[in-house]
Amino acid sequence: MRSRAIYLAAASLLLALGLMLPRIFAQEPPATPPQQQPPDVTIELRGGQRQFRLAIPPFRVAGVSGDAAQTTREIEQVVRQDLVNSGHFIIQGPEELRALTLSGDVQRDLEAYRSVGSEAVLTADLRAEGDRIVLEGRLFDIASGQAILAKRYRGTFPVGRRIAHTFADEVIRFLIGVPGISLSSIAFTSDRTGQKEIFTMDYDGQNQRRVTGHRSTSMSPSWSPGGGEIAYTSFFNGPPGIYIADLASGRKQPVVTSGSLNTTPTFSPDGGRVAFARSVDGNVEIFVADRKGGNLRRLTHSNAIDTNPAWSPKGGEIAFTSGRAGNPHIYLMDAEGANQRRLSFDGTYNDGASWSPSGDLITFTSRRDGRFQIVVMNVVTLASRVLTSGAGENESPTFSPDGRKIAYVSRRSGRKQIYVMDLDGGNTRQITSEGNNDMPDWSRLASEQ
Amino acid sequence: MNRKWMVWIVAPVLLTVLYGCPKKKPQTPPQDLEVDTTTVTPPAPTTTTDVPATTTPTPVEDETEDPLLSADMQVVNDELRRRGFSPDVYFEYDEDSLSDETRERLARNADLLKSSAQLTVTIEGHADERGTNEYNLALGDRRANAVRDYLTSLGVDGNRLRTLSYGEERPVCTNVDESCWSQNRRAHMVITGRANVG
Repeated sequence: MRSRAIYLAAASLLLALGLMLPRIFAQEPPATPPQQQPPDVTIELRGGQRQFRLAIPPFRVAGVSGDAAQTTREIEQVVRQDLVNSGHFIIQGPEELRALTLSGDVQRDLEAYRSVGSEAVLTADLRAEGDRIVLEGRLFDIASGQAILAKRYRGTFPVGRRIAHTFADEVIRFLIGVPGISLSSIAFTSDRTGQKEIFTMDYDGQNQRRVTGHRSTSMSPSWSPGGGEIAYTSFFNGPPGIYIADLASGRKQPVVTSGSLNTTPTFSPDGGRVAFARSVDGNVEIFVADRKGGNLRRLTHSNAIDTNPAWSPKGGEIAFTSGRAGNPHIYLMDAEGANQRRLSFDGTYNDGASWSPSGDLITFTSRRDGRFQIVVMNVVTLASRVLTSGAGENESPTFSPDGRKIAYVSRRSGRKQIYVMDLDGGNTRQITSEGNNDMPDWSRLASEQ
Repeated sequence: MNRKWMVWIVAPVLLTVLYGCPKKKPQTPPQDLEVDTTTVTPPAPTTTTDVPATTTPTPVEDETEDPLLSADMQVVNDELRRRGFSPDVYFEYDEDSLSDETRERLARNADLLKSSAQLTVTIEGHADERGTNEYNLALGDRRANAVRDYLTSLGVDGNRLRTLSYGEERPVCTNVDESCWSQNRRAHMVITGRANVG
C-alpha cells in the first residue's frame, strides 16, 4: 500500500531525527548508560525519554525492633522498587554510592554526589510511634544544594507498603511532573480457588484479593473510572450477565442479565454508562445502557460478531472487535455508534483493544505468524508496533494509568500469568504465579483515594 | 473346573422353558435352594443341551413407562441418545457454519424432538482455547444459534430451544493439540426440561 510506504518513510526519517536530537541537546556526560532501544517514533513515550539521576542513600531507621523493623525494611525496599519500576530514574543506591565518602548531611556531601552525576538526593528517616510507623522523606536538589521537598507520613504497620507507594508517587510527581502509578491496582481473573473469580492486586502484584465468590465463571473485569467499582461478566445465574461489584461494600449489582449472552463491559469515562456485547437475533452486537441496565441502546448492526468494546478516555469513541471482514479486527466508532471504521489490517486475528490514558494509542492482541502477540497502535496514523515475540500466546493487554507500561497475559511459563512490560516491550516482569491468571484491567486512578 | 453341579440349574430352566412356568412366579431358582456338591454326587449327564442365549428371559418392559417421560433428565437424555440423538456437533476453527454431516445429525435430532414435543433443549456453544476468551464467547453464541436456526428451519418450535455460550470456558478436552481442539469446537445439546406443550 502506498500510504503504508509513506508512513514507513516518514517514520524512518523521524526515527533518525529522534536519534540525533539527544546528541544535539545533550548536556549529560557522554558516558551515559546505554538507553533502551528507542520506540517507534509514532508511539512516543509520554513525559520524555530522559531518565533522572536520583541518589538514594540507605534510609535512616531509629529505635525500632520486631514488626516495626520488618515494616521499615519493607518501606525502604518498596520506595526504591517503585522508583525503579516507574522508569523515570537511574537510581543510585547504596551499591553505587559505596565508593563515596558521605557524612550523612546532604548539604555537606554535595560535591560527592556531583562527582557521580546525581541530580537529586532522596533521604528518608523512619521511626516508630507506638503501633505506627513514621516516614519523613526529603528531596535535595544537587545543583542548588537546597531541600526541595519534605513530606511526613504516618500509619500502622500493615499499611507500610501504602506509605511507601504514596511517598514514591509524590517524588515522581514532584521531580518528573507526571502522576505515579504506585497506588494503582490491576483487576484480573484467577482460577486459583478452582473456579474463575475476579481478583484485584497492587500494580506490583502484591496484596492480591478476591472480589467475587460466585463459584461459577466470572470474567472480563473492567474498572470504573473512579476505581471504586469493577464491572464484570458472570455465569453464576445461568446465562452470562453483566454485574458491578462495589469494592468497599462488596455488594454486587446486576446491570443487564436478560437474554442469552451479555459480556465484556466497559465504563463510560463519566462512570454513568456501560457499553457491552449482547446476543440479539442470533448474533453478538454492542449495546450501551446506564448503570442499572436502563436505556438499553444498540450501537452496531452487522451480520458478524461485534464484541469487546473499550470506551475511549475522553468518552467520544468506542473501540471494538468485529468479524465483519471475515476475521476479527479492531474497529472504532463514535460513542453513539456512528462512523464505524476499521483500524487493524495486519494479522489474521485482532481483539481486545485497550486505550492509553491520553487516548492516542490502543493496545490489543494480534495473531502474527500463527502466534498471538501484543501490538500497540496510534489510532490516528494507524502506525503500529509488535511489542512481544516468540511463543507463549501473549494476550489481553491493558495500559498503565501513566501510559508507560502494559500489563498482559502470557503462557510462556506453562500456565497463564500476568506480566508487565514497558511501552517499548522491554523490562518485562511477571507479577502473578498462583493458578491461571488472566484478563488484567489496570485502574485509571489510584484506587481507594 | 467341575461344572457338573450346573445341571441342577440348567435342568429346571429347561423344564420351565419346555413346559411353561406359572404366572407371577419368579423365574430364578428359589433363594433357599442349597446345592451341596460335597455330599451329593449327581449322576453324570448322558447328553449335553446347548442353551441358546435367548433362553434368558429379557425383562418385560412396563408399557406405561416411556423413559422420555421420566422426571430424571439424565434418563431422558440417555434415552434420546439411544434413539439416535446426537448431543454434539462440531465446527471448523473460527467457523459457525454447519457441515453436511452436521446437518444430517441435526435432521435426526429435529425428528426426535418433533416426536417428543414437550422436551426443551439448551444448545451450548463452545470454542477451542485458541483466540481470546471474549471473542470465543461470541463465537460460541453464534455456533449455538446456527444450530438453533437449523433446528427451527426443520420445524422444531423455537420456543423449546435455548442457547447458552460458554466460549472456551468449559473444554471437554484440555490437551494443546488439534485432536483436542476439534472436540472443543462444538455445540452441545442437552434436554433441560419439559414445556407445557402437546
